[in-house]
This record gives sequence, structure tokens and C-alpha cells, in this order.
Amino acid sequence: MVVKGEPMRPASFEYHRATSLEHALELLSQFGDDGRPIAGGQSLVPMMNFRLARPGHLVDINKLPIAGIEVLGKTLRIGALTRHEAYFGNPLIARHFPAFLDAVHYIGHPTIRRNGSIGGSISHADPTAELPAVAVLHDADIVVRSTAGERRIPATEFFLSAYVTALEPGEMVVAVELPLPPETSTGSFIELGERSGDFATASVGITLEHDGSAVTKAAMVCSGADLFPIRAPEIEDFLAGQPLIDPKAKEAGQLFAESIDPVDDHIASADYRRGLIAQLTQRAITTACTRALGKK
Amino acid sequence: MKAEQPRHVGARIQRFEDIRLLSGLARYIDDIRLPNMLHLNFVRADIAHARIVGIDSSALADIGYPTWVFTGEHTAGLSMKAHQDYPEMQYSEQPLLAEGKVRFVGEPVAVVLAEDAYKAEDAAEHVMVEYDSLPVVGTMKQARDASLPPLFDGWTSNVIVQRQMKGGDLEAARTAAAHVIKRTYRTQRQAGVPMECRGVVAHYNPADRLLTVWSSTQMPHLVRTYIAEELNLPESRIRVVAPDVGGGFGIKGQVFGDEVLVAWLAMKTGRPVKWIEDRREHLVASLHARDHEHTLEAYVSADGRLLGLKADITVDNGAYSTFPFTAAGEPGMVGKVLPGPYDLKAYEATFRAVATNKCPIGTYRGVARPSAVFSQERLMDDIALELGMDPFELRLKNIVREFPYKNVLGFTYDEGSYAQSLEQMRGLLAKDIVDATASRASETTRIGVGFACFIEQTAHGTPDFTRRRVPIETGYIAARVEMSPDGEATIDLGLQNHGQGLETTMAQVAADALGILPENIYVRHGDTLTTPYSVGTWGSRGGPLGGGAVHIAATKLADKLRAIAAHLLQVKADQIELANGKASVRGNPGNHIEIRKLARAALRNVDQLPEGMTPGLEAHASLDGPRDGSYSNAVHAAVVEIDVTTGKMKLRRFVVVEDCGTILNPLVVDGQVRGGVVQGIGSAMFEHFIYDAECQPLTTNFADYLMPLAPEIPDIEVHHIETPTPLTPLGAKGLGEGGAIGPAAAIANAVANALGVGVISTPLNTNALWKLSQHIREAV
Ligand SMILES: Cc1cc2nc3c(=O)[nH]c(=O)nc-3n(C[C@H](O)[C@H](O)[C@H](O)COP(=O)(O)OP(=O)(O)OC[C@H]3O[C@@H](n4cnc5c(N)ncnc54)[C@H](O)[C@@H]3O)c2cc1C
Repeated sequence: MVVKGEPMRPASFEYHRATSLEHALELLSQFGDDGRPIAGGQSLVPMMNFRLARPGHLVDINKLPIAGIEVLGKTLRIGALTRHEAYFGNPLIARHFPAFLDAVHYIGHPTIRRNGSIGGSISHADPTAELPAVAVLHDADIVVRSTAGERRIPATEFFLSAYVTALEPGEMVVAVELPLPPETSTGSFIELGERSGDFATASVGITLEHDGSAVTKAAMVCSGADLFPIRAPEIEDFLAGQPLIDPKAKEAGQLFAESIDPVDDHIASADYRRGLIAQLTQRAITTACTRALGKK
Repeated sequence: MKAEQPRHVGARIQRFEDIRLLSGLARYIDDIRLPNMLHLNFVRADIAHARIVGIDSSALADIGYPTWVFTGEHTAGLSMKAHQDYPEMQYSEQPLLAEGKVRFVGEPVAVVLAEDAYKAEDAAEHVMVEYDSLPVVGTMKQARDASLPPLFDGWTSNVIVQRQMKGGDLEAARTAAAHVIKRTYRTQRQAGVPMECRGVVAHYNPADRLLTVWSSTQMPHLVRTYIAEELNLPESRIRVVAPDVGGGFGIKGQVFGDEVLVAWLAMKTGRPVKWIEDRREHLVASLHARDHEHTLEAYVSADGRLLGLKADITVDNGAYSTFPFTAAGEPGMVGKVLPGPYDLKAYEATFRAVATNKCPIGTYRGVARPSAVFSQERLMDDIALELGMDPFELRLKNIVREFPYKNVLGFTYDEGSYAQSLEQMRGLLAKDIVDATASRASETTRIGVGFACFIEQTAHGTPDFTRRRVPIETGYIAARVEMSPDGEATIDLGLQNHGQGLETTMAQVAADALGILPENIYVRHGDTLTTPYSVGTWGSRGGPLGGGAVHIAATKLADKLRAIAAHLLQVKADQIELANGKASVRGNPGNHIEIRKLARAALRNVDQLPEGMTPGLEAHASLDGPRDGSYSNAVHAAVVEIDVTTGKMKLRRFVVVEDCGTILNPLVVDGQVRGGVVQGIGSAMFEHFIYDAECQPLTTNFADYLMPLAPEIPDIEVHHIETPTPLTPLGAKGLGEGGAIGPAAAIANAVANALGVGVISTPLNTNALWKLSQHIREAV
């Protein structure tokens, strides 16, 4: 790669192009802690330029055949190299996962969505990235491989802290699998960032199952309340049984806001995050219920 | 003295330089690669205030490739001196590399040279600096606390300079006032962010004893002078070249220590040396801007006449005074401009710069005026609110209407369209004002309309700088126009073009005088070897003064062409007109000769010249600013829509009515205005350089230091009024900075209007707006 100008300079590293999944896993196992897969590079390259990440070896996985969105039995399987832009116009996503589709619109800008991959986003684990939140919301499994074999990690157990996941050295995400929801389900995802395309200050996603007039089952995820996306079990319980026409969305938002302890930083105060999350919760619920009514 | 029958001046000509800039043909500082070149990496202070105990670079012995390390011990005595000759100003110098102490995070402590930039950066990590930390001076309040030790030996306090300006009888105004309105306004610290960071390459050639320095600067001649004086070299043996410069915005309108340092290192090592600033360095350690607090007290009559204004101004200057505008420049500018476009009879300002352990501040597009206009125009709205007056009415009641107008400090305003632009803006906003009022019933979405009316002293020159006693000293701009034997022309311009469109507008100006086409005129700039001495491009002076100088030089050249044509056509010189490449006899266009034939006669077939005329076609002119400059005026307006439940604000409209006198090229004026407005929107809503209590910077990259992005920017509507000034040859006033001056005030006024609250500070980001909307949420 020819770099014009050298203003941002990573520490030195060795580059390896993996020619097959086995080859990639081989290399990752060989380098252990000192090796990293590189997918779209949209998070890793900036981290390396800032020298916040200093892998000795990069394993380029871009040539591996692990992209694509397909239904396997009762799950939707998304290959790790699926780029964010692939969800737009995908009929499976549009039909089964409205919250997911909402969320993708908030990811960065077109060039970032063209390059960034779900495996990269999940593994990078930015506290307010959309795809980790979507995975947690939909009870996804993160499918992980190493030379020792495959393991499946529930998304709710995958994200441990900001930029910290359950991945072990030598492991690689190969797919994310989402259980297909029943036909009478819907959802919504809403977020707010300082500028369009920014990582969110906070976001809330909702999925609902319903009987045409009331919520029968709900799931809720929130980013910005903690260092990783969290589910809101008490709100999920609160919503079950609420009528679609007036689901007490405002109360749900307030209830949730009282239960969280968000960070205070130079971009947003904890108070603001709490107030914002209450508002986003209210809106996400209202939108999902409106969609449910429209769908019937 | 106007150009006769302007043809090219005023035309909507696309910028010639864009062909180069938009097709990847531009050559920026980082494109300069010389054989045998060394790359420099700075070791910078990571602590804000400390004594340097020791610098240990012994680990480099094992690194496996050659490196060279220099510290303040090597460069002892070399420094940046930026002092203004005021008795009340405390003197300080900034060493090229820290000597003994560091005073802000990012201050250069040592440099490492290596044979490529990666190696230099790796090697810099091996240089260990041991510090003995000192308590920081982190806020204006701490800086004014006399019990805290001063940052420099020999200082009596951390107030670098404090001065006063006054005019009229303020006491009488206070006594006569029916209302006294006092407010404190704050504008945040920013980094000026050109797309291209800074950078310097230097090379010393012992064969001809010539030191060549390439720098991404707005002022190559001044860089040359400073290097010559500091390194004790003859100026004739230094060439400073500013290659294509990817934006400057005033940030590159200073001489920096690194420019001297890289030149010194090239001579010291005998090899070319290159330093390219990275974004983190730029944000942390290049130059900051704004960071003002103004307490204003207005004395107002019962019917809304502004009788008097008292101001107390503090600027957080950071650790060092910068050259050539110094720490006194920013507060002094506020003191000078606060009377603004209003007919004010009594005024007193006390203004000061204080030193803190932060990056120095300096000139950034608008220079102090974005902050001054923020306070002034917020105050006008606060007065209007208190008196229950319409904000347009209040301003129209106080606006200066008769010209020339001598203001309370003795500055004379030339012709302008202050009232007219206010009236025009009022018409443009009529529907939005209705929408805003209607939105007051909404529990979630409020619309607000705000505007700011301001003037800007432009085209200022030597008289202004002499009065201010700034080290810039001089303000003339020089140009040389030369025609070659084929009838095409070259302009060697003392300005440096970094986005102003000068390669086009200056050609337009010369084309009108010479009677040839702008595309046949080559504008050269930014190289001290080829261009006449001038102090560079900054201060909204290029159009009126640079354009004026080009006009005068081209007119001199045209006079000679006319004399040659008159001789060859056997008529009098004043009967000759130059246009469309021809010299024709007035009233008898059939009788003409081509200009290129005149050029050939002047330079090659000199036997055709009139008796006694010297060969050659070259003219030089320099033009200085009028005593008080020339005042551009504008009204900026914003229509905002705020979601009071989330704090999210959308700009529905941004409208500019501006008057910069004669327009040289409407496309260029629109571009300058729009670019400035975008930066002003950044000041109003996003950009904020934040330090923690230990003066550690928190916003060191573009994820934390938020620039305005395209989706946040509405279409910016620009309307023009053209009131030519009698003070410059073409009637042009400056306009490069104006776009950045109004937005913070206009947007803050719109927010205040939307939410029905006082707005006292920027940036108005979502968090701030959410707080300002609290009373509306609680009322639901
Ligand atoms: C300006 C900008 C704005 C952005 N805005 C957003 C936004 O709003 N929302 C958002 O979610 N993201 C945003 N991103 C990040 C973007 O979505 C990234 O693409 C994504 O986070 C990482 O995907 P990637 O394929 O580029 O991963 P890379 O950058 O290649 O890798 C990221 C990390 O994941 C690891 N990795 C990559 N693939 C795998 C794998 N298969 N298994 C294990 N580890 C792996 C890498 O080793 C590295 O540690 C933004 C990025 C930029 C530059």
C-alpha cells in the first residue's frame, strides 16, 4: 500500500494475507496476543495510527469467503465479513429485523459502511456502536473459531467492557447468528449523536411481539448507559401486557433512566445521558408500537 | 479612482487554481522530498507545568539505525520573541526547545531525526524526559489570583498585559440611563483546523550559501526575516517558499519556532530536514483561538438609545505570546471593535491577556471579532428583551447611518449599508418569525430566529499597526506585473494564496487594466525569491490592498503600452484604449494594433519604440491600508429548530446579507462567505478545545474535537449589497474573515429566541441545549 504523506504513523508491524479460514486461524494461533485480524480497518487503522493498538502482526481476512446473509433453519446467519451497507435493501433484514435496519442507518458515513464489517464492529466493541447493540437486542450468538474449534458465545455475554470482549487470543468471529423472530413481531431503534454519523451519545432498541392489541413480549437494549450495550429486563417486563395504543412509553423511559448510572464526560454529562435515554426509550417504544399497529 | 469600464472585475469566473487543486496536481509541503533528507519528530511535554530534571536518550544507542537528538541545550538562546512595546506588558520568550521548564502539554522538549518518518517517530518514544511537576495555572480565575506564582521568572503576576481604551463621558451616560444591563459572556477555546496541518522542510546549500525553507505558511517573507534575524544570516541568502497551502485561516499567519528550528537543523546537520505536523500535534500544540470572557454593562435610555458601554475583557492566552501579533493582539482587538456599528457616544474598555498552562492562542479567522460580536449582539438582544423592543427596531434605532462616521474611539467608518442590510434581512426572515412564534405552543420543537449585525475593519495597514505597536510593523502589499514578448503577463504577488482565489481575482484585476484576458495572466506567489516583500495574506486585506497594488502596477504598465501604441498608430496616448488584446484608437476601433505586438516592440523589436523610451515591460506597486482601514458590514441570521426533549438542534436556514464594497468575483465572495460561516457554525455548536484541571488536553483528535460536518450545514444563502469604498483603488473592502464572525452570535440569538432564555456561552451543543431547555420540559 502506498501511503501519500506520513502524518499519522503506526508502530511497525508485519502484514499477512490469509488465503483461507484455516490459514487465518493458523496465523492467529501462531501470533497469539501479538496478532490481530484486520477486516475493514475502519477502527483498527485509526487505533494503530494513534498507537493505541500495536499489533506486531496483522492477518488480513478480507479475502476469506465469510460474507453474506442467509437463513439457516430458524436463524439468520450473518458472515463476519458482511459490510454494513449490505443490510440496506436486504429483504431478510427488512422483513424480520426492523430495529436492525433502523440501526444501520446510524452507522458512520457511506465509505465507512462500505468497508466496515460486522465481525470488526463486534470485536472492536465500541460502547455505543450499533451492531453490538443489535446483537444484544436480538439474543444473537457470536460464532467464534480458533484452531481448537468453534464456540458460540451469547451476545449478552460477549461484551465485557468498553473495547473488551470474551474473545481469546487466536480466536476469530466467523458469524453472528440471530434467531428469527415470530411473524407478529416488530421493533425500532433510535439514537442521538452530536453530529450525523458520529458514534451515539446514547441509543435504544426495542423488539416487540404482540397479539394485535397488546405487547406479549418485549426486548430492549440501550447503549450509552454503561460501557457496553445492556438489556433492560425490568422494562421488558413492564412492557409485556401494555396496550399498543398507549404503551406507557414515557413511564417506561423514566423508570429505565432511574435505574442507570451513565458516565460523565466532556461530550455529555451523566444527567444529560440519563434524560436523553429516557426520551429515546419513550420514542423507541412508541415507534415500535405504532409499527405493530400498522402491521397487525 | 475606479478602474475604467470594469469587464473582468465582477465577473463570475471559475477559479483557475481549482484545476490544480481538484485534480490532485497541487504540491503541498509533504510532497517535497529531497535526496538524503532527515525526518524530524518532536518529543513534546506530556505534562502542563514542570521543571525538566533530565533528558535521557541513551536507549537510542541500541535502536539499530542512526538517529540524532537535539534538546534545549543545543538550541540555547534561540527563541520566539513576541513583544509589544507597551510599558504594561510583561516580557517573555518561548525557546525553540524547552529550556529548564515546560509550560503546556505539547511544548517541544527535544527533537529526534532519523532517515525516515516512521523511524523518527519510533525513536522519539525512546527519549525519556524526567519532570518535576509544578502546580498549574489552569483558568482565568487562577491566572488573576495574585497569590499563585507567575509562569515566568521576573513577572509580577500572570496578567501578561492589561490596558484601557475610552471615549466620551461614561459617567454622564450612566446617570442618564433608564436601564443598566450587565451580562457576562463566554466564548470557548478552539483550535483552528486547516485541512492540511503545518510542516517545514529546510535545505542548506553551501555552494551558494543559500538556505531554502519550505513552510506551509501564510507569510513567507516574515518567516524569512525572522529566521535571518534569529540565525544571524543575510536575508538575501534565505529563500522561503510556501507551496500549495491546504488552508491557513490565520493559524499559519504566525512565525513558529519550528520554522526557525528546522532551518537551524538543516544547517547544523548539513542535510535536508523535514517535519510534517500530525493532527494530534496540530490540535494540541499549534495554535489555539478565542477563549474570551467579556463583562459588558450597557447604559440605555427609556426609548432604547444606547448611551454608553463599559466592558471588561479577559482572554486566556495560554503560555506564550506568539509572533507577530502577540498576546496583546486578541484582547486589544475586542476593546477596539466593541462599539461596532452603533452610534455610541461613551465607551470604556479594560482588557487583558492572562497566561495559563495551555497552548498559546493567536489569530484565527475573524480574530477576536467572533467573540466580540457574540457579546455585542447577545447584549443587544438582551437589551431588546429587557425593554420589550423588537430586536430589529433596537438596532435600527442605534445604527450608524451617516458616513463617514467617526466613532467614540476616533476611528472613521467609510461608506456602508448598515441600516439597509438590517432592513433587507428583516424582510428575508418575515416568514420564519411567524413560524417561530407559532412554535411556542409546542412541547417538543421550538423554532427560533436570531441575527447579528456587525462591521469589520478590513484593509488595515501600517497606520493601524504603528498605533498598536505590533511587531508586524508594516502592512503594505506589493505586486509586480510583467509582460512577456508574446503579450501574456505575470503577476508576482506579495500575498500567499491558500484558498482565497487570488490566482483568479488578481488576474481579473490586471486584465482590466492591460486589456488582455485573465487566463493569459499567471499569478505567482508564496516564494520570496520571485515575489516582492510583503507581510503575507491575513486580515482581510488581499482583495482591497493586494488587488489595489495589482491595479496600480498594471495601470502603470498599461500607460507604457498606450505610449507605444500611440507612437505606432500616430495618435496621442490618451486616445488609446486597451481591450480584447488590442490597443485601439478611441472612436475609431478600426485603427488598432495588437497588444502582443506592443509587447514584442517593448522587449525585442525595441527599434520600434518611441525615441528615448527604455525597453522592458514591468511595473511595481505597493499599497498600504488607509488610516483606519475600510469597514465591511454584514448581517447574519440563523433559523434554528430545537428538540427540547433531546437538545438536538437543526439549522433550518442560515442567511447572510453582506457588503464588501466592489465585488471582484461573486463566486469567490460567495465561497469565502460560506466557508467562513461553516467555521462560525463550528464555533457556535461543536468545536471546543477542552483541558482538564491539570491542563491535560481532552480533545486531541477528531473523535473528541468536533468539527462541523456537511450534514449539519444548511444551504447558506448569501445576498450582496455593493457599497464601494473611496479608500481603495477598486472600491473593494476585505471579506475573507467576515463569514466566520457572525454565526456564533446569530445562532446564540436564535437559540435564545427559541427557548426564551439568556444564552451566555458557546458551544451550543446538544448537552448545552438540553440544559437550556429544562424549563420547557418541566412546564409540560
Ligand atoms: C469516521 C468513522 C465513523 C464511524 N462511525 C461509526 C458509527 O457511527 N457506528 C459504528 O458502529 N461504527 C462506526 N465506525 C466504525 C466502523 O463501523 C468500523 O467499520 C467497525 O467498528 C469495525 O469494522 P472493521 O471491519 O472496519 O474492523 P477493523 O477496523 O478491521 O477491526 C476492528 C477490530 O476488530 C478486530 N476484528 C476484525 N474482524 C474480526 C473478526 N472477524 N474476528 C475477530 N476480530 C476481528 C480487529 O482485529 C480489530 O481489533 C466509524 C468509523 C469511522 C472511521
